[in-house]
Amino acid sequence: MKRLETDVVVIGGGSTGLGVVRDAAMRGYRAVLLERVDLGQGTTGRFHGLLHSGGRYVVSDPGSATECAEENAILRRIQADAVEDTGGFFVTLAGDDPAYADQFLEGAKATGVPAVEIPVAEALRREPRLDPRIQRAIEVQDGSVDGWQLVWGAARSAMNHGAKVLTYHRVTKIEREGDRVSAVMCRDEKNGEDVQIDCSFVLNCAGPWAGQIATMAGADPVAVIPGRGIMVAMNHRLVNTVINRCVYPTDGDILVPVHTVSVIGTTDVHETDPDHLPIPRAEVQQMLDAGEAMIPGFRKARALHAWSGSRPLIKDDRVSVEDTRHMSRGMAVIDHSKRDGLKGMLTIGGGKLTTYRLMAEHIVDAMNDQLGENRPCTTAEEPVPGSEDRKLYTVTHRLGEREEDRLDDPIICECELMSRSMFVELLHEQPNATLDDLRRQLRLGMGPCQGGFCAARAAGLACSEQVADSERATGLLRLFLKHRWIGIWPILYGQQVRQTALDHWIFAGTLDVEHLPQPEEEIVR
Amino acid sequence: MKDAVVIGAGLAGLTAALRLARAGKSVTLVTKGPGGLHLSQGTVDILGYAPDRVAAPLEAVGSLPAEHPHASVGAEAVGGAVSWLAAELGPDLLVGDPARNVNLPTAVGSIRPTALAQPSMMAGEVTGGKTFSVVGIKQIKDFPADLIAGNLARSTAPDGGALTARSAWIDLPARKGEADPTPLTYARAMDDEAFAATFAKAVAAVAGKADVVALPAVLGAKRLDVWRQVAELIGTDVCEIPMPPPSVPGIRLYDALLAKVRDAGVRFVQGSRITGFESDGDTVTSVTLAAAGGPRPLTARSFVFAPGGFESGAVDVDSKGGITEPVFGLPLTASDATPLIQSVYWGPHPLFEVGVRTDAAGRPTDAGGAVVHPNLYVAGGLIAGAERWREKSGDGVAVATAVRAADQITGGSR
Repeated sequence: MKRLETDVVVIGGGSTGLGVVRDAAMRGYRAVLLERVDLGQGTTGRFHGLLHSGGRYVVSDPGSATECAEENAILRRIQADAVEDTGGFFVTLAGDDPAYADQFLEGAKATGVPAVEIPVAEALRREPRLDPRIQRAIEVQDGSVDGWQLVWGAARSAMNHGAKVLTYHRVTKIEREGDRVSAVMCRDEKNGEDVQIDCSFVLNCAGPWAGQIATMAGADPVAVIPGRGIMVAMNHRLVNTVINRCVYPTDGDILVPVHTVSVIGTTDVHETDPDHLPIPRAEVQQMLDAGEAMIPGFRKARALHAWSGSRPLIKDDRVSVEDTRHMSRGMAVIDHSKRDGLKGMLTIGGGKLTTYRLMAEHIVDAMNDQLGENRPCTTAEEPVPGSEDRKLYTVTHRLGEREEDRLDDPIICECELMSRSMFVELLHEQPNATLDDLRRQLRLGMGPCQGGFCAARAAGLACSEQVADSERATGLLRLFLKHRWIGIWPILYGQQVRQTALDHWIFAGTLDVEHLPQPEEEIVR
Repeated sequence: MKDAVVIGAGLAGLTAALRLARAGKSVTLVTKGPGGLHLSQGTVDILGYAPDRVAAPLEAVGSLPAEHPHASVGAEAVGGAVSWLAAELGPDLLVGDPARNVNLPTAVGSIRPTALAQPSMMAGEVTGGKTFSVVGIKQIKDFPADLIAGNLARSTAPDGGALTARSAWIDLPARKGEADPTPLTYARAMDDEAFAATFAKAVAAVAGKADVVALPAVLGAKRLDVWRQVAELIGTDVCEIPMPPPSVPGIRLYDALLAKVRDAGVRFVQGSRITGFESDGDTVTSVTLAAAGGPRPLTARSFVFAPGGFESGAVDVDSKGGITEPVFGLPLTASDATPLIQSVYWGPHPLFEVGVRTDAAGRPTDAGGAVVHPNLYVAGGLIAGAERWREKSGDGVAVATAVRAADQITGGSR
């Protein structure tokens, strides 16, 4: 067994965990983050991509609205490469109550969320696909944010400050000595090795899985209620501005332009198991109807992919940390010393990606209090690696980057303009990664053909670059195709049926991937 | 008025048009673009898996279920149609025996059964004890030589024997300063004997000793004996391995068939869609061409509809799952895609078996078996009953049903 020693172990490689490990490391704690799979593979990678202006909460949750507005401005400063300044509209659709917009504007004023009503004609000029029957339009400072860029930016920053970020490390047990947490036991899944990490504090940031983690420390069960929502990515940027429906928050009321697509979301359905989140067809239909209400003809547009994410809602009011007045209702911190008599562990739930940095600040503050330390938070000031120039992401950035090397460097994924050198560089940096892990950072296979042309190239490169033998490279290809399908079959209609048939002609017809020799055990990571 | 209008320039449409013209019929071949051959691997599959690997495809056709398109044509006619096409194209383009499958390596190193293949591919037949040297071209991204060789080396040949394979690479630009060429760029370069000789020399330098040197399928676009020249210069057999689109071997078949169709006097109209039809009672009198100047009717006594399947948009699924055939509104074997879409990637996808039912003559029928239009015949991928890419039957279905349609129109006279 391998043994490490640190001050604090952070469990969970989503935005919360990465925010926390970065914050702790910047305050001088020795910190290790454990993630059972890859970073951003849970809730952080399964949302609609909205960087909230706060507008959505000005009426329903004023505290969250103010937090969002402040954090929105901070993330634009410190994680510019993950944020696109799309701007946003709240529009009153035909049939919606136009009086809500007045409530909205009042709420915005009260919460400090910048919002200006603009003439309908101006909104239609800027977003000509909007239903021309809209009654009112309010402009806000929404953006879109790439959850994976966000967590990897935070991860690189944390590592620069001395933290360790260990992916594919599954926590198996949290050891205690008397009434204190003493170590976290985990399994290094890639190397098949057990690891013990001695520590004095554990921060449980496992989101929808936080209940399972708390139980491993012998704490009373924490009730996590995964609130599942589905999203559908459409092939084009049907809009270039985030479109919100100007109503009290409901299902299917946001359309977000992210990278080269636009994402419609979302639903909210209680689930029991965060590892099994369906994408029900009825909910897909609900999203298409919602899209149609904002953008006439939406159903004729091409849907590329659907996914399902889980809000990490924790329902446990028994004991929380003393000072929650700065925390919005969605955020919950469970102090296990009061709740379970277990010192050295906090569990965090709720929250939003937009406010992930602030959540981390609160949690590490709470840890400071328990440890009797006074180390101030500095995460709002320092840009993460890659965002030092504070230049916001633009949708054309890859075209710009390819301009220089376009005659020297072949494109492996044409849909997303991913060059061979981009892929090979990351492949060597993360030789244990699956093609999906690389996809989350490079967008491999996320465009219209959904991997039809690039997947076999990627597997071939993994083999040629000697990070995988032919058996593993084949397993990676099979795994990638299987995973892509999870998000394709629920939206299989229109032009995507045609694309799927072409992809089948390539993989089954020409390449006969199905009849490649199978490894004894299917490669799953 | 023509004797026949053929819609679609894939393997089915081209075959039907040629067969009709050979029988002396006046034909218009109309297509919105180059057909599916550009996307194919350039072989003629009849039946590769059923679901186990098939060695004798015509024999296996005999045991297919009645709903399979091959079943309504019959093994003998399938074999006859494929042989006729092979004779038309000649041994420089297609060789093999429709009664026996050959197993050829793919561009990921699997071993794929097919009936007829191009002569440039045949030395690759995977048999026990064979040694492959797989040589990639650095500039070609769809030929992962290391993965191909690695997978072949850990495979067992269908005859049960072991295989040996290794990989090597050459660095040879087809055009200076072009980092991202398509296979077609190389194929055109190979039409120049000097470039092919340079290529052969580079391959010989790295290939090492092997029974066969496996190369990306770029050995000539127009010149069909490049593979012979390369093999002679290397001093070893060579085989081409087809790659994902654009497919050079597929384009060779397309070019050859289209040239024959035109030589045979067929009028070829490319670039406009057929959007609808006119009829007199059930009889189709014309199809409507969305020409640049406006809709134009193309009249004929008979019509062969060979638009392809889901991949070409010939079968449409709307956002609520409704499946339709948009040109003639033909009855399909299913109208709702929802229950047919599978959540499991590996395995059958019954959605893609949906298509048009036909009578024994190849005419669309409704669910009760009644013929919809007495002078409309369908051929190829639109016909229901087979997941063609999975069982490797698409080309055989296309050729056999195209020949059936043509022979019905000519009354079998040629």
